[in-house]
Amino acid sequence: MPKYGMTIDLDRCTGCRACMVACKIENNTSQTAFWMYVFRLEEGTFPDAKVSFLPRPCQHCDNAPCVKVCPVGARYKREDGIVATDWDRCIGCRYCEVACPYGVNYFNYKDPKKSQYLDWEDPDVKPVIAGAVPSWANPSLNEKYGSENRSIAGSNHIKGVMEKCTFCVQRVEKDMLPACVDTCPTHAIQFGDLDDPDSAPSVAARAKKGFKLLEERNTQPSVTYLGSPFSSGAREIERPSVKE
Amino acid sequence: MVLKVTRRDVIKVGAAAGVLTAASSLFVGRMNTIRAVGAPKPDLQLTPVEEWVPTTCWIGKQDCGMLARKIDGRVVKFEGHPANPRNQGTLCPKGQGQIAALYDPNRVKTPLIRTNAKGVQGDFRSATWDEALGLVADRMNEVRKRDPRLLIWQKGRSKAKAFYDTAFVNASGATKLHHGAFCSDAGYRALEYTVGTHAVMNPDFKHTNYLLAWGWNITNAGGNKTCWLTWNQQLGEAKERGIKVVAIDPRARPAGPFADEWVPIKPGTDLALALALCNLVIKSGTIDEPYLKEFTNSAYLVKEDGTFLRKREGDDAKEQVWDEASTGPMDFGKIGNQPALTGEYTVDGEKVKPAYQMFKDHVAQYTAEWAADKCGINVKQILQIAKDLADNANIGATHIVDGVEIPYRPVAIMTYHISQTELGFQQVRAQTMLMMLMGAMGAVGGTMSDFTWKIHKNFEGLDNIKITDEPNVYLKNSKFYPINSNNSSVVAQVMSDPDSKANYGVDYTPEVCIIHMANPMTSFLSQKDIYDGYMKYKFVAVIDPWLSHTADLFADVVLPAATLEKYEGPVSATDQYIGAQTLRVPPMDPLFESRGDIQIYLDLCERAGILLGEGGYLDEINKKLKIDDENKIPIDRKPSGERELFDRWAKSEGYEKGVEFFETESVNVTGPVSPTKRYGYVTEPPFGGAIHRLYGESLMGYQEQMKALDVEKIYYQDYTAFPTWRDLTMEKSPAEYDMTLISYHMIEFKQSRTSMVGVLAELAPKQRADINPAKAKEMGFENGEEVIVESHNSVTGETRRITVPLHFTEALRPDTLAIPHHYGEIARHPNSTGQGATPNALFFTGKGYTANTADQSFHVKVRLLKA
Repeated sequence: MPKYGMTIDLDRCTGCRACMVACKIENNTSQTAFWMYVFRLEEGTFPDAKVSFLPRPCQHCDNAPCVKVCPVGARYKREDGIVATDWDRCIGCRYCEVACPYGVNYFNYKDPKKSQYLDWEDPDVKPVIAGAVPSWANPSLNEKYGSENRSIAGSNHIKGVMEKCTFCVQRVEKDMLPACVDTCPTHAIQFGDLDDPDSAPSVAARAKKGFKLLEERNTQPSVTYLGSPFSSGAREIERPSVKE
Repeated sequence: MVLKVTRRDVIKVGAAAGVLTAASSLFVGRMNTIRAVGAPKPDLQLTPVEEWVPTTCWIGKQDCGMLARKIDGRVVKFEGHPANPRNQGTLCPKGQGQIAALYDPNRVKTPLIRTNAKGVQGDFRSATWDEALGLVADRMNEVRKRDPRLLIWQKGRSKAKAFYDTAFVNASGATKLHHGAFCSDAGYRALEYTVGTHAVMNPDFKHTNYLLAWGWNITNAGGNKTCWLTWNQQLGEAKERGIKVVAIDPRARPAGPFADEWVPIKPGTDLALALALCNLVIKSGTIDEPYLKEFTNSAYLVKEDGTFLRKREGDDAKEQVWDEASTGPMDFGKIGNQPALTGEYTVDGEKVKPAYQMFKDHVAQYTAEWAADKCGINVKQILQIAKDLADNANIGATHIVDGVEIPYRPVAIMTYHISQTELGFQQVRAQTMLMMLMGAMGAVGGTMSDFTWKIHKNFEGLDNIKITDEPNVYLKNSKFYPINSNNSSVVAQVMSDPDSKANYGVDYTPEVCIIHMANPMTSFLSQKDIYDGYMKYKFVAVIDPWLSHTADLFADVVLPAATLEKYEGPVSATDQYIGAQTLRVPPMDPLFESRGDIQIYLDLCERAGILLGEGGYLDEINKKLKIDDENKIPIDRKPSGERELFDRWAKSEGYEKGVEFFETESVNVTGPVSPTKRYGYVTEPPFGGAIHRLYGESLMGYQEQMKALDVEKIYYQDYTAFPTWRDLTMEKSPAEYDMTLISYHMIEFKQSRTSMVGVLAELAPKQRADINPAKAKEMGFENGEEVIVESHNSVTGETRRITVPLHFTEALRPDTLAIPHHYGEIARHPNSTGQGATPNALFFTGKGYTANTADQSFHVKVRLLKA
């Protein structure tokens, strides 16, 4: 059984946010939900200002606080390291959202199909896309995954449930890379089996000094950041229209 | 990379088997039955068919290779094609986001015909292709019969090879308008004139050790040849190799953490810095004398009247150099002579100096302290750059690439859109000369230009311009802009001038305009001039997938074009080191009633009677695509469609399977680009035989002619043999206009067709004006506050205004306001409505705001007012 994890090389990230868009298209997340989010940061004052970037997927923690607080077992840690959310079982209590220090949980306040960027009921378009909402709706998200056979892939399912990054479980189970990793133009993000010393993240992690986000919380993330850390005084710039 | 490799291997197997589009290939699988959400719906209990088919990106600049994932024929995702050297299986945010544009219900679905007056929001009715094409063909032919100059054809950036554009222009006799004067053409003209290459300046990423990244492109738009995605892959690798990057830009944001040093230069003063660096490099003795003597006109002797000393032998007038061996004049290039670069000599009683000596004297006035003052930067930074250039130039060193020994000068400049300033042409000439001094042009690790070292016809053409009194509508070869980058805003000014005959020598006004994938009202400037000029057209046809702002205001007919669901090409897929070729193949049929662009021209030319016969559209395509006799498109019948054209082209190029090769294997990777094609020093002959022009004798000649033709100084003052600093015209605006406005590109968007794509618009939902917080607070403004930005034209006194919210950033000079050049592009689209105004509403065209090459300047003085 692999133990999946990720490395993100901050020295290679240009902050382009291709990963954010790839994630949205693959997972059909609704408007303002960013399972992968790239902070664009600035610190210092002119002329000593510095700009940096920080991609933030779910950290898929080994000691995941969100799993511990889920009252119904909807949020659970898989053997392969993926922290999953069974949207069939989720009751929408949002405890996971409160417990997570990384802000990776997104709650479906309304029917997610009503927040899909355009009017997919358009009479000229609807027949061409067979009623899919959005037009790029990914049918793989409706399948069940894992030996546990649970509904854990993607977004755009039902109102009142919690969703977050799944490491693209629907791709990983088919031996494909998560969408964010696959698209990253500078190969800043690597994904694979952390128990395999030859896997891309294992190789990358050996080559460069790394750190984990909020290590002091003992959440034991599966995501390791490589390269220059940002300073605690960094301010966010260029925010997209994120959830309020 | 384990998983990635797995997938690549799978794709390779599929490609080799040639079954990517076949229904039973590796890419077609039966998926598990879909589990319906909530109450099961019988129509969702299907077993969908999954396919992965090759295509190419359409939304960005460099047409990256893609695989489209299709479910039951519906495209659900695009991913990078792993075999394409340009993108290596990856895509940028636009490439990913274009899926949201493909099925956009707001695309133009049928041909449209206008039913209301022009100049305001359009009312359109749906029409058949037959009616719409008939209307365009009739109007086009009516003016062609009277005077072909009355027909204008205009396109933004052509996707893939522009053969079918040129074929239409040639077959119809239309005057072609470009986008380049709004992009980087001042730089193109500078390189064409100075070294002969048709491109701007790029590093040799595998070998460059020291890079001056000039302008906002570096991680936000990439270079002019390797575009954003390939650029950043190579930049990332170069950083890991240890390249030092100096970002010269009013903003720190574009280079971000990739800059080792930020030089926050004052907008428009780049020429001053380049001249000072030339001076410092000469002073430090970091000069490649053998290169200057052999491959440039540095040793040519210049007379006191500014022309070269030539010896006339029959019809030949050979430029003379001072031979130090024989201490006398001698023909340039004569074997065995030792031309002097410095000194002053007397030949036949006439005082002469080598051009290099004159350049040395000329730049001596541009000291580091002087430039620091002009550019608003620290003198220490300038001195440090000069020192670093000297330390890294490795004059005299060579490096062996693929067995070929080549001069090694690992210092480079990136310059691209920064060329569009009032002094842009001479600025890029000075940047080129800085690299020439060190012998770095075309050296390993030095400054590259095009992918291969080819000499453009403009190297000779721009040196031999015949100025005419009766120029065409873009003032080609005119006394105003002898070197001319074809600027649509100048056209608009000429067209809207009631006295254009007296003022410009233009005695006609174009009547019919075909606008193909261009949106001058928002992506060009100045907006007011464009509006006034385009109102003069009697008939406008627009070819576009969306209703652009320009179409909404001016189109009589809109012809709906497909996006990527069409054949187009051929497309170079080189990453500059590996050669490759691809073709856009459609992952699906054109949506709604849209048609592929080439199909539209085939249909339009048929209706206009210019499709068949010699000189017709098909004949021109045969010529432009260089199709061999065996595969030539018959010119006596209409081809079956786009696919047939490319099938014939592909077979002519040696692809046995024809277009099917690209439909199955997508890309033809031809292997490493030979160093003898890439590096100027080792092409045959070296540098394509062009003698690089340190001294611009003909530029000075144009100035003399312009003076004789009585044009104002503002037009001729920058036609000088050497780049020469002068204060910018905009600086004459009153002191209360205390900030300089610049515009810039965001990586989320492509100039004029993406801010309506929901998944991209969401990333940067609203227009904003970047401002330094200290400066804003000094004026009493808060972050996010809506303000009026008012621009001022120092020549005419005109002011223009937009309202925009402020966005605080410390990574910006306090005297500079920066606004992205996006937004407001597509009319009445739910995702783009209310995003805010383009900064192109604030810029001006014309005297003081247009370079001497008719290139547009993107600088203007502004002030902020309470909204």
